[in-house]
Amino acid sequence: MNSKETQYTRRSAGQWAVAWRRFKKNKAGLAGLAIVASFVFLAAYGLLLDPVPARSFGCLYQGCTNLPPFVDSAHPLGTENSGIDVWNEIIHGSAGDLYVGIGATVISVVIGLSVGAVAGYRGGVSGAVLLGLTQIFFVLPVLVIILLFAKIFLFLLAQGLALSLIVLTLGLFGWPLFAFIARGEILRIRELEFVQAAKSLGASGSRTLFRHIVPNLLSPIIVLSSLAVAANIITEVVISFLGFGDPTTSTWGLIIQEGFDHIDSSWWVAFFPGIAVVICVLGFNLLGDGLSDALNPRLRE
Amino acid sequence: MGSLLNYITRRVLFAIPVFLAVSIITFLVTNAAGDPVQIVRLGIRNLNPAQLKAIQDYFHVNEPLYTRYFLWLSDLIRGNLGQSLYSGSVAGKVVPWIGSTLELQIPALLLALAIGIPIGIYSAKRQYSKSDIAVTTTAIFGISMPTFWLGINAILIFSLYLRWLPSFGAISPYPPWWWGNIYTDQLAHIIMPLGVLTFVSLAAIVRLIRSSMLETLRQDFILAARASGISDFRVTYKHALKNAVTPVITVVGLTFGTLLGGAPALETTFGWPGLGYEFVLSATILDLPVVLGITMIITAMVLAANILTDLVYALMDPRVRL
Repeated sequence: MNSKETQYTRRSAGQWAVAWRRFKKNKAGLAGLAIVASFVFLAAYGLLLDPVPARSFGCLYQGCTNLPPFVDSAHPLGTENSGIDVWNEIIHGSAGDLYVGIGATVISVVIGLSVGAVAGYRGGVSGAVLLGLTQIFFVLPVLVIILLFAKIFLFLLAQGLALSLIVLTLGLFGWPLFAFIARGEILRIRELEFVQAAKSLGASGSRTLFRHIVPNLLSPIIVLSSLAVAANIITEVVISFLGFGDPTTSTWGLIIQEGFDHIDSSWWVAFFPGIAVVICVLGFNLLGDGLSDALNPRLRE
Repeated sequence: MGSLLNYITRRVLFAIPVFLAVSIITFLVTNAAGDPVQIVRLGIRNLNPAQLKAIQDYFHVNEPLYTRYFLWLSDLIRGNLGQSLYSGSVAGKVVPWIGSTLELQIPALLLALAIGIPIGIYSAKRQYSKSDIAVTTTAIFGISMPTFWLGINAILIFSLYLRWLPSFGAISPYPPWWWGNIYTDQLAHIIMPLGVLTFVSLAAIVRLIRSSMLETLRQDFILAARASGISDFRVTYKHALKNAVTPVITVVGLTFGTLLGGAPALETTFGWPGLGYEFVLSATILDLPVVLGITMIITAMVLAANILTDLVYALMDPRVRL
């Protein structure tokens, strides 16, 4: 009798452990996790050790500008027209791009979860207004508006703030999908029996919402977050490539733009940072797919 | 039929607040850039007082912000996009390029649907087979790629290395590409941007169709259809596809807006004379009235695409109209 009880409690406590066990079997998901971890490592290496400062033009005076890749071991991926080392830019760019990708997603999740939770749980007039607001934000032509924000405010602001401004703008326009999912899940979960049970045991409204409902809607939000980081990194690369970003901070889009300007003489400057973008974004997409399989077993088989 | 009309009316009415929201956001942001007079002066130093006065009067610089907004909005609703800060009217700078953006976007979308739906079904029917793994691997690489970077690689291979295709513009001044004919010249110019855009949209559509099809094939009504002896072909392409394609249509219609938004980078890479390229050029020189005009035109196009999607969705799925 007693042993049976402990079994039950262990099983219900191990929801995340079960998901992790399922995730571990997914090779693509694990590959995604490994890729993401290596980019985090690369970014930390660039930020903390900083062996060669970002955008250093040292090569300009040593005659190693426009060096092709795989020729000089000091510059494994070659150098740009003005002597910037491509591999070093990839290292420093990963810090910038992960900051934008993850930072903007965190802002979107916070806004989306709050709006969705209120719209789903409270209903009524405020719920309807928030739902309408979400629908409006959902159909905005976001990239054009973000480009406009970046252009105008970077023109006005100090340049050190530029990357944070892009994080903020991407976050402010990226939340509607999170709000829709949170609202939909809340509408579904609040009718389930365990919520009714919590309520009839006298749990307060906020306790029911945060202690019983929110933990159960986290899994679709986690999956979507991983995919949102991937999408935000691509948007950041587009912003920098078009010259709407901060010209003083290393990002992958900036070095791709510089490479594209000299595409006929040095193809490697645009090519290799693009490979970094593809691998990093692929990592987050694979991680998202793997998490989706692990957290929503209904969709498998 | 009345309910369908009702549904569409509701969708059209919903477009109005969205349009107003975009107009307020973009107007406020462009206003934050500062006084048009100062911006013109960045480019043109020696304006005489009469010219300055004319610019101030034209942009109502001395009126309060809300008056300026309503003056601009009432012009916009009447179809008058105003004057560029530098030369000519906004309409003259923007309208010619709408067609050239659509010339790229619509064929890319149709091609991606035409190729993507059969591949997605094939992949779902043979889940975890070698061909399915090849398709899903290619597709996840496709959605992980910035469209413009794929474009840069296409330019590297087909323009710089092989020298088969032109890398810039929609038409060459002289001499024309391929057999000296104006039509083959235009074809040579559109192949690369169209191919790149199609590939990236294709990757997204294949993934959507595959997962939607997998979910549908697992449902009870498919089992019932099979049990009543309907052929596998009919079950797949009639019963399952009809249900699997409806949610995909919605996502595709909604992402058409994102596709239009993705246009700036792709069009800039290929020098394609579309709205996105014009937006980038105008924003770079802070030609704010043109930037405002393009943003509103893109918004109107996105909203039109959304309404069209809703209409298609309502026609395909009668439950929506209730």
